[in-house]
Amino acid sequence: MAPDVVKLKICMAGEGAVGKTSLIRRYVLDQYDDRYVATLGTKITKKSVTVANPFGPEPLQADVILWDIMGTSTVRELLKEAYYHGAQGILAVADLTRRDTLIALDEWARSIRSVAGDIPTFGVVNKADLEKDRALPGAEVEAFFRERRWPWSYASAKTGAGVDETFVRLVNHVLSNRG
Amino acid sequence: MPIERPDTASLVRQRLLANADDVDALFVLAALRVQDGYLEEGLTILDRVLRIDPRYPGAWRFKAKLHRMQGATSAEQSARKRAEDTER
Repeated sequence: MAPDVVKLKICMAGEGAVGKTSLIRRYVLDQYDDRYVATLGTKITKKSVTVANPFGPEPLQADVILWDIMGTSTVRELLKEAYYHGAQGILAVADLTRRDTLIALDEWARSIRSVAGDIPTFGVVNKADLEKDRALPGAEVEAFFRERRWPWSYASAKTGAGVDETFVRLVNHVLSNRG
Repeated sequence: MPIERPDTASLVRQRLLANADDVDALFVLAALRVQDGYLEEGLTILDRVLRIDPRYPGAWRFKAKLHRMQGATSAEQSARKRAEDTER
């Protein structure tokens, strides 16, 4: 029997150049490009994954629609309904080498939730390969996510480490909160 | 090495110089014009986006918001209906 199918709209959140687009590219295409190209407007990427059904014995097919939006704040508030309407989950991305990017996730989550409601959020600290440039102590990262009750992980879009696991955990987190 | 990030308006200009029909740049330009107080101009640019790509993500919902800001209820409802059809 074909698995049940659910459609999930996930919004990427995080400051410019934290690696939102690179994480999607690594996850969907298993590719990485070192050149930085700022995202303008909206990009949608779809990926189907089969995951365990938190509410039944049969697996589920999740058609994940990843909304990648520009990280700059210039017109984000004006566009928030356009971006976030109907979102079911947030992937909140911070950059291991920039402390401000972790703090900024609160404002991103607030903005998304003002449109989409209190939807599940999963945190990821990208650029885990740049350990030598770390600006976020491990204890601070852990405290930040624990305080907000957001599951979280480290990942590197550059090496691919932790990327698949991050998205699978994100999907499971969103599904298990659907009730 | 820190990544150099051009400001949004400069990026939009660069992209439109390279391709006047760059739909991402036009979408952001529409928002920038509205933010600067030029609502009608923003709507005109957004309509161009929707002519180029009627399924551009979020564009119908943005159009509904701009019509709401104008107080154009019927146009707002029509754009919202298109948004729902597009997102289905």
